[in-house]
Amino acid sequence: MIEFFIDGVPMTAESGQTVIQAATAAGVLIPSFCWHPHLSAPGNCRICMVEIEQDGGDPWFDIACNMPVTKGMRILTDSDKVRELRKDTMQFITLNHPVDCGICNKSGECLLQDHHYAYNGQPSLSRDSKTHATKFYPLSDRIMLDNERCIMCSRCVRFTDEISKSHALGVLNRGDHSLIRPNTEVDFNYDPYSDNVIDICPVGALLSTQLLDHARVWYLKNTPSVCPGCERGCNINVWHRKPEWKLNALSPRLNTSIDRVTPLDNPAVNGPWICNKARDLSKLLERPRAEVAMVKGAPVSVEHAVRTAAAMIAIARKGVALVSSWGSNEELAAYHSTLAPSFTNFVKADHVPLPGERIEDDVLIKPDKNPNRHSARAMFDALPENPADALSAATDLVFVWGEGAPMEAIPASARVILLSSYAHDDNAHADVFLPISVQTERNGHYTNFQGVVSEFQQCFQKASGVADASALFESLFSSMSGGPATLASPLPSNQRMVLSAPMPTTPPAGGE
Amino acid sequence: MSGGTKLFMNFDITPTSHTLAEYKARGGYQALAKALKEMKPDQVTKEVLSSGLLGHGGAAFLAGRKWGVVKLNDGQPHYLCMNADEGEPGTFKDRWFLENTPHLLLESMLIGSYALQGRHSFIYIRGEFDLAYRRMAESLEEAYAAGLFGENIMGTDFSCDLVIYRGAGSYVCGEASAMLTSLEGKKGYPRNRPPRLTVAGLYQKPTVVNNVETLANVPYIVTHGAEGFRKVGTATSPGTQVISVSGHINTPGVYELEYGYPFADFLANECGGMLNGSELKCVVPGGISTKVLTREDIMPLAMDHNSFVAAGSQLGSQGMIVVAEGTCMVRLLQVMLRFYHHESCGQCTPCREGMGWLERISNRLVAGEGRPEDISRLYQISRANDGTTICGLGDAAGYATVGILDKYRHEFEYYIENKRSMYEGRLEVAGLGESARAIAASAVA
Repeated sequence: MIEFFIDGVPMTAESGQTVIQAATAAGVLIPSFCWHPHLSAPGNCRICMVEIEQDGGDPWFDIACNMPVTKGMRILTDSDKVRELRKDTMQFITLNHPVDCGICNKSGECLLQDHHYAYNGQPSLSRDSKTHATKFYPLSDRIMLDNERCIMCSRCVRFTDEISKSHALGVLNRGDHSLIRPNTEVDFNYDPYSDNVIDICPVGALLSTQLLDHARVWYLKNTPSVCPGCERGCNINVWHRKPEWKLNALSPRLNTSIDRVTPLDNPAVNGPWICNKARDLSKLLERPRAEVAMVKGAPVSVEHAVRTAAAMIAIARKGVALVSSWGSNEELAAYHSTLAPSFTNFVKADHVPLPGERIEDDVLIKPDKNPNRHSARAMFDALPENPADALSAATDLVFVWGEGAPMEAIPASARVILLSSYAHDDNAHADVFLPISVQTERNGHYTNFQGVVSEFQQCFQKASGVADASALFESLFSSMSGGPATLASPLPSNQRMVLSAPMPTTPPAGGE
Repeated sequence: MSGGTKLFMNFDITPTSHTLAEYKARGGYQALAKALKEMKPDQVTKEVLSSGLLGHGGAAFLAGRKWGVVKLNDGQPHYLCMNADEGEPGTFKDRWFLENTPHLLLESMLIGSYALQGRHSFIYIRGEFDLAYRRMAESLEEAYAAGLFGENIMGTDFSCDLVIYRGAGSYVCGEASAMLTSLEGKKGYPRNRPPRLTVAGLYQKPTVVNNVETLANVPYIVTHGAEGFRKVGTATSPGTQVISVSGHINTPGVYELEYGYPFADFLANECGGMLNGSELKCVVPGGISTKVLTREDIMPLAMDHNSFVAAGSQLGSQGMIVVAEGTCMVRLLQVMLRFYHHESCGQCTPCREGMGWLERISNRLVAGEGRPEDISRLYQISRANDGTTICGLGDAAGYATVGILDKYRHEFEYYIENKRSMYEGRLEVAGLGESARAIAASAVA
């Protein structure tokens, strides 16, 4: 450990740490644009300039991001001269930046805005026209580049070199006509981590085409969640409309849909990165939903469907259950303590890789495209590769929880109870169908392939006909044991299945 | 010829004077034989250090100190790179070496590589130097054919290979770290220090980068010893300097001068006096990145490092531009700033944005649209670039700007107030008007 001082306060740093790393670890903010804790330090923005006091000599100035801490070093982060240098640097950075915050998508979460207010706060001293550059340059189908807003911090270039290793971006030209441009030999569309450059861009130069002109960030709130796209279980923030800024005029769907997904830094799982599949979570979760319970294809009340299913389970001689690998730890526990003893249980893969999807790499993406198989497999065996091995001709009841079940392998004589969230032809063919909630409609935990447990929280209300799987398990269980088909579990009221509610004649449109 | 002892320009240049045969006839490659057979690597370094040889690339640091930092037995490869990316405006002295004494440079590279125990060495040549590149490449082939490169040179254990690499025309690649980055095949961006290049340079291995002329001194030092070298020049600036001089003089060119030669003699003798008898206004002493010296400043000076630093400037890269009375300093500054704007690599903020800002202000001044606050803005941008950038380009532009503004502020004020130059219509100094008229007249006739 090296002892040194920041603004007169004694601190310690580990050997080899730079001043900005040590300061950040100690909670001292030194402003930066180009420096990112997970990328190399190019030292090009020069905003992290600090003063180093010398014994009996003039102080000297250097950038904190490239200066190793030495013993007894005395750093000043807020001296008059440092403030003056920062002001100069901010003048340079905003010299050719359009300062069009009013129409910029980054506005509200922009590092340049923050640093401008903190360290400059005055208009440009220049009387000359700004240099002009390309305004809407598509770096890929997902990312729009505004070269005028770019401050050449090179974070995006370093990300593709050091993290995603696609080497898809580079700098063209020199001086104040430098431009970020895609590599001619690499297509940025094929970088599955490309959207991370949007998050790390300190200004509004790299914009997500998903969110571009779609919402101002201050109308959105973020809810911690977990990406269900693979067994990595990356921690994410799901951004959706704040209830107080509810849109009344447009489609009510807009109030209960995912606006964007960003990483939630968890060093144990994903660090500050996620792949593009997580960004596209809305595609995965916002498919057409099943919201009405059915018995042999006919809409019924949830209560009726539960009673019918419970009766089937009670008389089954050889029941097989195909357990979801998308259920939360809580749901799996509920299933384990209620219905599991009634069946021979197998864990199925709800999702398999889509055509063209990257199967696995050494950054984040894992081959199993299900978030919680780890927990499910801790309780039950995996479904054999040939499902017929598990579903013998003697099977007279199959309980299917979630998607991806091998319906064609189920013996024709067996009855099927299906729990699923999405509209599908199989739903009407099941003897009993019960709609269940999706991840963004409930709280829970997943355990990833490393055994790390991550929490996801509820973002939206469920539709009235939809129940949580755990609630269904408990009411099925109590119905089987002769009790009334009511819910005993102490779940919050917004998650409780209302069994006495009348059947909706039309599926609710808004979800609430 | 005057100018004192000649270490380099001591032979007649003929169409074949650059060849291996003639270089050997002049005593070439004897220093290499002496170094390889009679000296240990660290002895060579010690000799260069005690000779007091100063770098000729611009900064004038002790050359031997850089060599001494490299630890010979650290188990890492070491690289020696010759910086022949001579791009400083006004400087063209390295070109003389590359075109006329290529084998002297190859011998220097071999001795330097021996001193640093480098197996591979590099010459980074400016892309625009065509003859220079071809001469070097031919000479390297000659040297390989004569067994001077490759395995077991001159029957010793020492082996060395040399690669000549052509730059792509970027000024900033003449900065040592940018040169190495370019040599690695990347975009020529300068690097932050630490680490120093002698710790992590080319391919992150200890690397010494030396200017062409600096290395060219090494064979002389090996042959004559540090004491022999110190007999030339002054006590603090030993040796000679090869100066490229251009501007309003009668005989621009490349001249070798012993350090300490008086500037007045240099102007009168080597330069042949001012062009057409015009008056000296000022001199840009060492490439445009050094501060300009007025007639009063420079006339009494002896040409060595201490005198020029005392006068508030530097010998820099030894590229002198002599400016005659009647030249508009506002326009001179504009030309300089256009260069810096064009050559800023765009990596770090103050230079990337500042160079363009400086040029735009100077363009506006020349267009007669200047405002009084522009002068203080030029000062401010220069100050904000001083010591805040990754390499010296931003600093250099600031020195050039401040150097001219300090001494010729009245010309800027006149230009801003009257919306025209102080010297409008009076630029007869170069006599170019007359000769151009004569040419035009003869063409008509």
